[in-house]
Amino acid sequence: MTTQWRYREFLDRLGIGVIIAIAVFSLALLVLPSVVVVMISFDTRAFISFPPQGFTLRWYQEVFNHPVLVGAMWTSFKVGVVVTLACIAFGVPTALACARGELRGRTALSIYVIAPHMVPGIVLGVAVLFTGALVGIGPSIWLQAVTLSVFVLAVMVRTVTSRLQRLDPALEQAAANLGATPFQAFRTITLPLLMPAILAGSVFTFVEGFDNLSVTIFTHGFRDRPLPIELLAIVQQTSSPMVAALSGVQILLAILAMITLSLSVGLDGVND
Amino acid sequence: MPGSASVTTGGDSASPIVFIREIIKRYGANTVLDRCSLAAHEGEILTLLGPSGCGKTTLLRCIAGFIQPDGGAISIDGADMAQMPVNRRPVGVVFQSYALFPHLTVAGNVGYGLRMRGVAKSDIAQRVKAALASVSLSGLDDRYPAQLSGGQQQRVAIARVVVLQPRVLLLDEPFNALDAKLRGSMQVELRHLIKQLGLTALFVTHDQEEAMTLSDRIAVMRAGRIEQLDRPDAIYDRPTTAYVADFIGASNTWYSRVDGGLVRLPDGQTVSTTHSGDVKVMVRPHNLVLHRASSERAGSWSGKLVFRRHVGAMMEYEVQLPDGQAIRAVGLHGDQPVEPSPSESVTLAVRNPAACMVFPAA
Repeated sequence: MTTQWRYREFLDRLGIGVIIAIAVFSLALLVLPSVVVVMISFDTRAFISFPPQGFTLRWYQEVFNHPVLVGAMWTSFKVGVVVTLACIAFGVPTALACARGELRGRTALSIYVIAPHMVPGIVLGVAVLFTGALVGIGPSIWLQAVTLSVFVLAVMVRTVTSRLQRLDPALEQAAANLGATPFQAFRTITLPLLMPAILAGSVFTFVEGFDNLSVTIFTHGFRDRPLPIELLAIVQQTSSPMVAALSGVQILLAILAMITLSLSVGLDGVND
Repeated sequence: MPGSASVTTGGDSASPIVFIREIIKRYGANTVLDRCSLAAHEGEILTLLGPSGCGKTTLLRCIAGFIQPDGGAISIDGADMAQMPVNRRPVGVVFQSYALFPHLTVAGNVGYGLRMRGVAKSDIAQRVKAALASVSLSGLDDRYPAQLSGGQQQRVAIARVVVLQPRVLLLDEPFNALDAKLRGSMQVELRHLIKQLGLTALFVTHDQEEAMTLSDRIAVMRAGRIEQLDRPDAIYDRPTTAYVADFIGASNTWYSRVDGGLVRLPDGQTVSTTHSGDVKVMVRPHNLVLHRASSERAGSWSGKLVFRRHVGAMMEYEVQLPDGQAIRAVGLHGDQPVEPSPSESVTLAVRNPAACMVFPAA
């Protein structure tokens, strides 16, 4: 008994140690750079350096007065919306069929849907670019949006499937027993209970559509250059704190998305 | 039986509400329901009792329409259910998990079926109120299921189906989700509630005490068939097969031979039987009486007391016979002038030989 007791104590300590290590590490690797970038974005000097001196919103102004950057943001926003809508339209029914239906070969279907996400984005991008060229489809905002949709469909399918697997199947049977038609049961029970997962999946797919680089770099249209491509170009050409301001905007958007999610469905819902 | 005074116990005169004829359900090579037949009468609580895998839940799900049987017929109130979709069957299901809709309030849950049927809003409010009152949950309309106790959830699940006035209530192990401590009182309460609402109920359980408490009649199931269907006391006192005798209550078992229509019991008494040849004799522990070997009432069937304990007002004894068999006997505490102590020699006798159960030794 005593050895077992001590062993568990030891495991507890080990666990806490690892958690602290991860916390410190992620803080150092994720949060600190973000803080540094945001600080730089307010610097009065016209080059990137640290620590910043003074405070100005000039770089934010410049971002929003920069026609190319604003156009790129708009392009990326459109791609994000299209990718999200496509993933909802195709991902939710796929998840339902895989988790609940009696469809033959539903395991194969779920693997088939998830497979593109397993391929490195660069490989997928190059493959689509080459194949597109063979059949006469050149890079465009549409090719980018469609390829990204296929790429991230897995995220929506997985989020919704895992939520579905946690839902008591008796809920739908109860609805049927209480007189609901299949459509009524779906609209009044299944869909509302899936909403948190669909919302969480939407945030993830929108972010992927908005700032994916690996697939985008090979598939985007040269007249509709999306934000990650422009950002890459700017970083390669200049060292203006405008890049930091642009990152600041994106960090703000990410924080807003998390707040919206936690207010609407709770962070537990996202975890589901 | 608590509350059984006001009960119509499945009279033979009434035509059955639920009539099940030779239902068959197979999953691959596995036959879950094997020509199972059953009739439940107006106002009775009929329990499907059996070990897991005996087909009781499958039968309930066939009646609800969640499962399509491979053969046989189910009719409710005279109407054949074969082509009847799940959402139009006149049955109300209380699920093992209760399956309350977590995103709807108590009132939303109870009014759900009425909304699906297109009942007017004002009517819904009124009928929900009445249904909640009938299960003593008035005032909890705006709570969510997660804010209710297990017992309250069970009553919401009942109110949710009762509000639709089903012909039959189907309950699938409705006590599994409750604390063991709560179950006993909830069982009596549920029985009163169903009787008060005047409902016919089919109830699935693997727990014989639950079945004894709740039922007007019990169908003991075995391997997809009904082994015996009778009132709880009859199931206990006059089981028709050794399986039922073994499944319901505790029994002591030994093998014997019929001689001239009589079976000789180990204590020298005899039981008459219609069976012949080798038989299996089963005796309930409370039908055995135990005496200290030194007392003047000592008999010839003797063994050694190996264990004894108080269970409430009862004394439970375990006696080891010379051949090693363990015999269980139960008596009232205080029946013995002097309680025998463990390892003491005792003798056993059958109180009422006629209550011994004799089955063919198959």
